[in-house]
Amino acid sequence: MTQHPTPNGDGFLLNAEGVSKHYEGVTALDGVGLHVRPAEIHALLGGNGAGKSTLINILSGLTTPDAGTITFEDQPLELQRPSDALARGINTIHQELSLVPALTTLDNIFLGREVNSRFLGLKVKLDRRHMEERVRTLAAEFGLSQEDLRLPVGEFGALKKRVVEIVKALAFDTRLLILDEPTSGLEEEERLNLFEHMRRLREKGVSLIWVTHHLEELYGLADTATVFRDGRRVGTVGVADTTVDDLLGLMFGIAAGEFGATTNPPALSETDDETGDEVLRLNNVNRSFVLRDISLTVRKGEILGISGLAGAGRTELARAIMGIDKISSGTVHLKGKQVRFRDSSTAYQKGLAMLPEDRKQLGILPELSVAENISISSLDQVSQFGFVLKNKDETNQAETYRRRLGIKTSDVKEKIRNLSGGNQQKAIVARCLNTNPDLLIFDEPTQGIDVSAKVEVHNLIREFTAKGGAAIVIASELAELLELSHRVVVMKKGRLVGSVDNIPHALLSGQFEAVKNRILAISAGRTES
Amino acid sequence: MSTTAATAPKKNSLVDRVGARLLVDPTLGVLALLILICLVSAFTLPVFLEPSNLYNLLNTSLVVMILAMGMTVVLISGGIDLSIGTTMALCAGVAATSMKFGLPLFAALIAALATGALVGIGNGLLITRLGLPDFIATLAMLGFASGILYIWTKGVPIIGYMVPEFYVIGGLTPLLASLTLPMIIALLVALVLGGVLGSTRLGTYFFAVGSSKTGAMQSGIRVDRIRTQAYIVSGLSAAVAGIIMAGRNTNVPADLGNGYEIQAIAAAVIGGAALSGGRGRILGAILGAITLAATVNLINLVGVPSSYQKIVIGAILILAVLANRISAIVSGIVRQRRALVLEGIPA
Repeated sequence: MTQHPTPNGDGFLLNAEGVSKHYEGVTALDGVGLHVRPAEIHALLGGNGAGKSTLINILSGLTTPDAGTITFEDQPLELQRPSDALARGINTIHQELSLVPALTTLDNIFLGREVNSRFLGLKVKLDRRHMEERVRTLAAEFGLSQEDLRLPVGEFGALKKRVVEIVKALAFDTRLLILDEPTSGLEEEERLNLFEHMRRLREKGVSLIWVTHHLEELYGLADTATVFRDGRRVGTVGVADTTVDDLLGLMFGIAAGEFGATTNPPALSETDDETGDEVLRLNNVNRSFVLRDISLTVRKGEILGISGLAGAGRTELARAIMGIDKISSGTVHLKGKQVRFRDSSTAYQKGLAMLPEDRKQLGILPELSVAENISISSLDQVSQFGFVLKNKDETNQAETYRRRLGIKTSDVKEKIRNLSGGNQQKAIVARCLNTNPDLLIFDEPTQGIDVSAKVEVHNLIREFTAKGGAAIVIASELAELLELSHRVVVMKKGRLVGSVDNIPHALLSGQFEAVKNRILAISAGRTES
Repeated sequence: MSTTAATAPKKNSLVDRVGARLLVDPTLGVLALLILICLVSAFTLPVFLEPSNLYNLLNTSLVVMILAMGMTVVLISGGIDLSIGTTMALCAGVAATSMKFGLPLFAALIAALATGALVGIGNGLLITRLGLPDFIATLAMLGFASGILYIWTKGVPIIGYMVPEFYVIGGLTPLLASLTLPMIIALLVALVLGGVLGSTRLGTYFFAVGSSKTGAMQSGIRVDRIRTQAYIVSGLSAAVAGIIMAGRNTNVPADLGNGYEIQAIAAAVIGGAALSGGRGRILGAILGAITLAATVNLINLVGVPSSYQKIVIGAILILAVLANRISAIVSGIVRQRRALVLEGIPA
């Protein structure tokens, strides 16, 4: 830890000292400091609710601190609104998508920084051609075509929106770029592309503050890491001479060795022998242009992983099973009986549940408490005579999930909107599990969740299937998918193009790389199975 | 793989683009409705399609058309202006009274426009400073504007301000042949607002704020200012409509604007504007206003008692929204297919 900076105020681009912020009785930041050198990539680490997002909101002008001094380029930084931050050359890619659905990609990229041309002698007319020319090369690098630039962003999926957001932040001259989990949901190629851009910006003298839960991403990229825990800074270290275990230790306040034990996948459940009862069967399911001829079976006690690149139809398949999207032909059988769901509420009644991919659509009820948010889909468990809510049961139930998932809140009766994004996600995972369905579909279940909670979410999914439930898991991260699934099917362009069985056995016999490569080969079209 | 994807869509891209443009267009539904009305009447009531009738119909639709264009801007920015009708009456009153006081014509017009802009600023401040819901703030403003006009006129219509120029402004005296000034004014308002929405910074911000307040704010847009500016636009459009009304009506009763807010909202929504914000078109508002006028005209010609007219307008509103939804679904399917073609999957 040689690069440990001393906060003397000199030589730093950004100098934050004693920054505090309270929200309705919750202390989000408790006198933290952050010191960012010119031309460095500075990782900001911490579990959910550690205060990273709050500090970022302060630095991007979305909120003002209660106390503390911040200087930027040796001038005091007092931001009243986001435009102030932009004016100082501080650009932010927020965790929650901040795009405007009704506007085109181009208008979104240039929103607030439009280029005008002359019209009737006045410089009032938007010069879209000029804007398009300026951003075309950059957009193309991230796979955005000219056509994409002209389409409303609202038509894109979560992944493509994320890409637009990155292009938006990279399109302008910046002194400090803040990235709040920019890679969540990105494919490998785009991830590497973004990293390349981050390096190039550093070479140009730009500093970056980078929030990520993927610690392995840091190496070879980040220079310094500052770790927050419970609203305090617990350390600033040079990344090159710090191990992942050290960082985890700082983040969660446990000795490194101890934590390593919990990240190892616990032995997978015994029911990997495919003899369990069939829960869901799809026969030649089609949805025009999206799903082609999909047949698959999920059995009791089984976790089925679905792999594939973005746009392969994974989310579309989940939506079709849940009845959110209509299928054009083929049949769906639930426990041997043919079913046809008109909408997702029928699917819920018949014992299906889904955790959707897009966090904003998860249906967080912001004004209700954490406990109410967890129990809302399964109120019968905490009611008597069909209507009386037994508040105590509800609280106890929520308390159990709070402990297991480490939902960071002083009280489960706290309104959920006061929680950080990652903690809200945990509460929604709890809600899904709590409905106790026959089949649960998880679309990116650990998106935005910190490492320790990720393990718990995995454990909860395993517990659920061990008790006889069946689960379908969609995850972009192959390692996560393999760790969790008994069987993985691979989708490509709306079809099932292959499957790999008996994954727990393979992993136990140390064939992780082999299985991974096989799945990648199937995705790439070099099918041998 | 990427090379096939790049070359595949080139072949039919022109047809695809034109087709998609047409289908994506939210005004398609209204246009279909309007054509339907014309076709039905062509067979049942040939009088409807006579040039003189169409001319009258267009002329009567102009005031609602101007109001609907202003309303569209507010709806796009995520608001709603219930005060637009009474503001129109207030501005008409200001113009008429200024003339009676002997002010020159242009001063009277400026006074009316300033009143409209002030009401817009008032609406904006109530909403952004006091944090009132748009619906409540503009409903209160409706009360203020109409109350002020009643107190000031003591319920007696303002008369005695009609100089010859006002006959021209109201369209009672045509400019040349059958071309009237209100037609030109409506066209100018359409060009200005259409231009602002389609190709200026401010127009982009109206859409941005209405579509996602957080997104707009994080992009550095002063959301409160933009929302206020939208209400200033609707206030100004009410003033322009009020000036025309003062000329056309030849007197200004206190209830001159009653019911116009509903017609303006109806025309804007028929034209594809969404109450949820972020969506709407000036051309849609124009077609919406004509559709409303055509419907009223048609039922008048058939001889339906006027008490039934409001029911028919309600039905038209529902029909138009349904038509818009159908065109949205169709365009969604077309777009999905095109997206897959781009990915190289044969449809």
